Amino acid sequence: MNKLEIDWTRCDGHGLCAGLMPDDVLLDEWGFPVLRGREITAGELPDARRAILACPALALRLSSR
Amino acid sequence: MTTIERERHRVIGEARLLAGLDQDLQQHLLTHGPLPELTREDYVQLCEAVGLRGRGGAAFPVAVKLQDLPARGVEAVVVNGSESEPASRKDRLLLTRAPHLVLDGAVGLAHALRAPHVLIAVHDTAAATSLREALMERDDQLAIEVRDTPGRFVAGEARAVLSALEGGTAVPPGRRVLPTRRGYHRRPTFLSNVETFAQLAVLARLGSRGFSSTGLISEPGTQLLTIDGAVQRPGVIETPTGVPLNTVLQYAGAEPGPVLLGGYHGRWLPRTDGVMLQRPEVSAGIILALGSGTCPLGEVTRVAEWLRSQSAGQCGPCVFGLASLVDDFARLTIGDPQGWHDAHRHLGLVPGRGACAHPDGVARFLTSALEVFDDDVQLHLSGQGCGRPVLGVLGGAR
Ligand code: SF4
Ligand code: SF4
Repeated sequence: MNKLEIDWTRCDGHGLCAGLMPDDVLLDEWGFPVLRGREITAGELPDARRAILACPALALRLSSR
Repeated sequence: MTTIERERHRVIGEARLLAGLDQDLQQHLLTHGPLPELTREDYVQLCEAVGLRGRGGAAFPVAVKLQDLPARGVEAVVVNGSESEPASRKDRLLLTRAPHLVLDGAVGLAHALRAPHVLIAVHDTAAATSLREALMERDDQLAIEVRDTPGRFVAGEARAVLSALEGGTAVPPGRRVLPTRRGYHRRPTFLSNVETFAQLAVLARLGSRGFSSTGLISEPGTQLLTIDGAVQRPGVIETPTGVPLNTVLQYAGAEPGPVLLGGYHGRWLPRTDGVMLQRPEVSAGIILALGSGTCPLGEVTRVAEWLRSQSAGQCGPCVFGLASLVDDFARLTIGDPQGWHDAHRHLGLVPGRGACAHPDGVARFLTSALEVFDDDVQLHLSGQGCGRPVLGVLGGAR
């Protein structure tokens, strides 16, 4: 049970996450990510981890709930 | 000498929280009786039996919050007296005129939880003075502190209050953590609103049977409401839970017209008939009557502007989203149909996208305004406007 989560106090709207995970993250009109909110499957985990590491603001994380 | 502005108050039914105002400790104990020494299990059982819910707005069951605390190591009991909803007066009334009841609730629970600290966060001098004077009469064998915290809207959010109490800035942190697990100085903490503690002080004395002699079966007892706006007698009212909204409106001499229930994060009601005042809808108990002489959309836009100014400025979608919504509503009010379309789109982009529930609350308020004032919206979009001035009956930005 993994989902992407954003710490909104950190996210600066760099938009890198949307480029790396186009199926899970869209950008709104202000450049901030909109999460699709679906489960990240085991196969997608490596991509998700890459996006998390790429976020310059350290705003992305995986929640296991 | 400070003169304490007397908050106006009334009671429908039996006075409990407002039974003894402006009393010293001795008179207070004569009115309410001594506070029984109860255990943590007693408090859990009592709260469960009467279904007591937090009175700050979120209406979370108190028993569940108590049970979420670890068996030992509870650091603090925190009374959130920041009363950040601008229209609300009930907590201020309790702090200034019934401080011993609030202290009883906090102290009784702190002893039961073996918590060494009681912290009371307030943001006005009258409340702080009243509490400090009351504390001088008491000997509770606990470290009790009254602290001034900022009075901004979002600063009243539970985690923002904790951050301020620890000497940080009064903004919600990015992670959604529960104070019961990681609260004051990251230690388990029981935090609730002022009225919740006053209710606990009454419940401890009356027991669940006595407490349940009035109000709803699902959530018995009384509640404090603040009524304001287009009413002849604004102020705080204590009523049994579940009282019909129309009774309260009549009592306060409200002008007929739309009603906002639950404050600036609340909802506009399409009609008042058959509405019973209970949690969660009643939230922190704020009832604002709009009357019929003012422009609803203009009023809503003023409040939206005020709400925008209260965003802690931390989270992108909240900062940009609320600013856009204010602009959308302003355009809609002068008859621009694009304002209407943009408002609907932006209302979908704001909820759930911030570190606190502020954007969600603003979206709830504005969405219900578009629904309930649809006739007015059509009038404004037709270019004629509604022909009424904006009187500012709801407060908000000038
Ligand atoms: S990469 Fe990080 S900072 Fe940039 S939009 Fe995504 S979450 Fe926000
Ligand atoms: S959601 Fe808005 S009000 Fe809440 S912390 Fe973020 S910026 Fe501040």
